[in-house]
Amino acid sequence: MAGSILGNRVLRKEDPKFLTSGGVYLDDLEDERLTGAVYVAYVRSQVAHGVISSIDLSEAVEMPGVIGVFTAASLNLAEVPSAFNPAVTRTYLATDKVRYVGEPVAAVVAETYEQAVDAAAMVYADIDALPALVDIEEAMASDNLLYEAAGSNVVFDTTALGLPENTGGEFFADCEVVVEGRFINQRVAPCPLESRAAAAAWVDGRLIQWLSTQHAQGALATIIAANGLEASQVRIITPDVGGGFGAKIGTYPEEILLGRLAKEVGRPVRFRETRSESMMALGHGRAQVQYVTIGGRRDGKVTHYRMQVYQDAGAFVDMGSILAPFMTRPMASAVYDIPNIEVRTTSVVTNTTPTVAYRGAGRPEATAAAERAMDMFAAEIGMDAAEVRRVNLIPKFLEPHTTAVGQTYDVGNYEVAMDKAMQAAGYAELRVEQAARRASGNPVQIGIGVSVYVEITGGVQPMGEAAKIEVHEDGSASIYTGTSPHGQGHDTSWSMIASEQTGIPMDRITLVWGDTDLVPVGGGTMGSRSLQQGGAAVNKAAIELVEQARSLAATLLEADEADIVLDTDSGNFHVAGTPAVSTTWADLAVAATTNADFPDGLTHETRFEASGATFPFGAHVAVVEVDTETGKVRHIRHVACDDAGRVLNPLLLEGQIHGGVAQGTAQALLEEVRYDSDGNPVTSNLADYAMISAAELPSFEVVHMETPTPINPLGAKGIGESGTIGSTPAVQSAVVDALAHLGVRHVDMPTTPEKVWKAIAAASN
Amino acid sequence: MSVIIAFSMDEALRALAAHPDALILSGGTDLLVEINEGHRRLGSSSADIATSPTVLAVDRLSELRSWTIDLERSQVHIGAGVTWSELVSEPLAGLIPALAEASRTVGSPQIRNAGTLGGNLGTCSPAGDGLPVLAALEAVVHLRSATHQRDLPVAEFMVGVKRTARLPGELITGVTLPIINGWQGYSKVGVRNAMVIATASTALVADRTKRQIRVALGSVGPTVLRCSEAETMLSAAVDWENGGVGSDQLREFGGLVAAASRPIDDHRSSAAYRRHSVGVMAQRLARRAFPLESGPPGQGKSSGI
Ligand SMILES: Cc1cc2nc3c(=O)[nH]c(=O)nc-3n(C[C@H](O)[C@H](O)[C@H](O)COP(=O)(O)OP(=O)(O)OC[C@H]3O[C@@H](n4cnc5c(N)ncnc54)[C@H](O)[C@@H]3O)c2cc1C
Repeated sequence: MAGSILGNRVLRKEDPKFLTSGGVYLDDLEDERLTGAVYVAYVRSQVAHGVISSIDLSEAVEMPGVIGVFTAASLNLAEVPSAFNPAVTRTYLATDKVRYVGEPVAAVVAETYEQAVDAAAMVYADIDALPALVDIEEAMASDNLLYEAAGSNVVFDTTALGLPENTGGEFFADCEVVVEGRFINQRVAPCPLESRAAAAAWVDGRLIQWLSTQHAQGALATIIAANGLEASQVRIITPDVGGGFGAKIGTYPEEILLGRLAKEVGRPVRFRETRSESMMALGHGRAQVQYVTIGGRRDGKVTHYRMQVYQDAGAFVDMGSILAPFMTRPMASAVYDIPNIEVRTTSVVTNTTPTVAYRGAGRPEATAAAERAMDMFAAEIGMDAAEVRRVNLIPKFLEPHTTAVGQTYDVGNYEVAMDKAMQAAGYAELRVEQAARRASGNPVQIGIGVSVYVEITGGVQPMGEAAKIEVHEDGSASIYTGTSPHGQGHDTSWSMIASEQTGIPMDRITLVWGDTDLVPVGGGTMGSRSLQQGGAAVNKAAIELVEQARSLAATLLEADEADIVLDTDSGNFHVAGTPAVSTTWADLAVAATTNADFPDGLTHETRFEASGATFPFGAHVAVVEVDTETGKVRHIRHVACDDAGRVLNPLLLEGQIHGGVAQGTAQALLEEVRYDSDGNPVTSNLADYAMISAAELPSFEVVHMETPTPINPLGAKGIGESGTIGSTPAVQSAVVDALAHLGVRHVDMPTTPEKVWKAIAAASN
Repeated sequence: MSVIIAFSMDEALRALAAHPDALILSGGTDLLVEINEGHRRLGSSSADIATSPTVLAVDRLSELRSWTIDLERSQVHIGAGVTWSELVSEPLAGLIPALAEASRTVGSPQIRNAGTLGGNLGTCSPAGDGLPVLAALEAVVHLRSATHQRDLPVAEFMVGVKRTARLPGELITGVTLPIINGWQGYSKVGVRNAMVIATASTALVADRTKRQIRVALGSVGPTVLRCSEAETMLSAAVDWENGGVGSDQLREFGGLVAAASRPIDDHRSSAAYRRHSVGVMAQRLARRAFPLESGPPGQGKSSGI
């Protein structure tokens, strides 16, 4: 018998299509239901904060090809409250106020995309500007309110959840050493290669809406409500999606309004955004200011840790506003055994693009804070940063462990992860090389950064997923999943799992996803949940399907069910010891059509419920060269040891790690969304927004480690975000480490040449 | 909008005589961005034709797309339509290495395949990567109209931020550059390693025949700047025979280069960092030109490397 396919480097099934004929992304979609579709372009506010006095459509409606120009008033749009703070409401097109540059103000529908864009430029919104609030702390203190009804620019605070306020200075009274820091975890843009596109068509009274999304089923309620429909009247279809990174979890006004616009003009409509629009109107991530205090003993033991987080929600109370309380706070203790911890998080609205979940979503922020604090504590007591970590790591645990902040982790073996990463990096030799470089007086210095992290995956409701497997009469099969691949390779993974159990070859298995008529219920793909919940559901469905097929095979082969075995190499069922007496999946699928026990044919649907989240962990070592004269940082090595539990496909695992490390490094070194003091975005194209490229990255060194979780039968934890979480603090730490001998203790991200240069200058003064 | 595609120099010049304000289109990597961003409107309906500018495409003119080497006069003529990709290839790269070095930093392969030296001059952005090299090499820009032809030193051609001495009706036909006996190089600072607009840049030429150092700076002034004080100082300080210079002299040189810059604060960088970085780049380029550590001229001391 051939061995298990699981755990092998199986090439991605979807790649031949993506690499040759190409995926079908939304704006390329040809569908007869979109015949005669017209284009929607949105008029966007060019003012960050202001009161709309009038919107002049007269010139726009005269433009060539224009079919209609719509505002909140003409569409009679209702106020929609935020899911997280009902006092904060907005209309999908701005009515009384605009709150960020890029906010949709009006919609133009025209025959062609170009005509719609040209006409949109002819809509004039008369806006009386109000002072723009760009800075989180300034917004918090200001009585210039974005939402009067909320009574404050603070829109979410952990104290409102009944959690305690942070105490005063006495919290650290017993500490020999106390170090404080103010860390910027800057705002970044997710930059999926495919920017947003959507389409809508009314077919026989039903709304068909195409979305480039991570969660079609999650968009249903919003689309149903916006169009005043019954649930049965909406179908959402997801074509191939070119990346999301969290920003495509939610549904945006530009997409939500398409059904209404299609109805108004009596034609199907399509929408696509430019990169510049995407940089302004697709949600941003991170955006925290963290005040961190760490205290402990001179021997390296950390006993107290406090964090006050100010989370920038941007101009609406979207998912970004709840990541600090529900993701950053629970992970505050990180991998450390710190007996006393207090955390308060405060989310604030500002006149900037609303923030949403972005790869890691709250956990990178927690990790970055803890790792920076550990580094500064180590520097203060003059101990090696890796050594301080060793003193404070939670010892290996294979039973649940609960931290002082109240979060329970499943399994952890942090010190081994750190050792593996440091060993692979040659940590001791690197320190020798660093010392030699320092002694040589070379302006280009070496820095070494170590980070150890734990994160939470699959931790958001629903903590389960459905799967259905249908065997067709030709012996092929379809898997229906509620997850939503947009680069991860679910077609490959889910086929591997199903093939392992059923013996149906991978290439005879098709994946169905993202279509709410075909998969009405699903949790989508986010929070690194897919394999551990969606994959586990496929595994369960396949096992149960085999059981059903076995009873059918027994009938067919006129044998006792207990004697029927499935040969997963051939995919045939036969009588034990008599391989010649066998039947195939195709035979069974045909037989099922006339068997009363199989009213839907040979198909099985099931649901896997996880008993909880999983907590992937790992350690990263980054090595950088810093030119102390220009401030330029070169990331020269990156070692990543990420423990995601049992590995289904190392190739896919490494792909996730590589992408994650690249994005995490990008935050440490390059990327930052910035606004001028009037709230105008100054980084709304990829020349000014320094999205990372291969030219800035080393070849990654991946070190494997597997500590299976008991939470699911696959033993799998999430890997989608680990790379992002582990790499950022390692790289940032390496930059600071390269400058440590010059007296530098901290450089805020992104550690651009200019910031590095200024930090050196400041330290030498 | 009307588009005229010229297939010969004659056609192009006649079209320019008829439409002196025509938008000249070469690789389009600047012009189309400006159009897309609405800095230039072309009008979208036939009714606009009367008022909207004419576009004149010159990318098919072989005179613009070619280059010639004149070894006798030690110079190279490069047509305005020569692309960055051609400039990074031999033999041009070997003859004008600083221009090749600058060209390699421009955009991406796609941009280098389409974008041209003439377009870089036409735009005349302070961040144009070709321009400091042309300035340090004291290139001559050739302009031609239906009625006349004239040559301008590149320093006179570049007038200000995106402003040139080109007159309506004139076409940039190319530039002439000297083949230098000596070292030349280009250095650039930007937010990342590829696809990046210069935050600050420096070109340095060490002309052994004339015993002259020439330095030009990008992105630190309204247009490319030369650094005459620094040039004079270093020309006198280096050991031309052995290729050496003292570290103290280098530092002084760097300081003078920084002082010659006139940078501004913007969203890409502070003025202070720009000023600092051109000083560092100039020192490093000079060290590459004069690798030996040596004292002031006459002493001929070497570092013993
Ligand atoms: C993504 C991207 C990255 C870029 N990166 C860089 C970079 O790193 N460094 C850099 O320097 N530039 C960069 N650029 C800008 C641009 O590519 C260069 O300036 C290029 O040299 C322009 O050449 P072109 O042939 O495309 O010019 P075009 O866009 O065709 O023309 C530019 C201007 O010159 C005028 N013009 C062109 N030819 C003539 C002529 N023969 N006579 C008179 N006027 C003429 C045009 O009318 C126009 O005003 C980048 C552009 C993009 C889009």
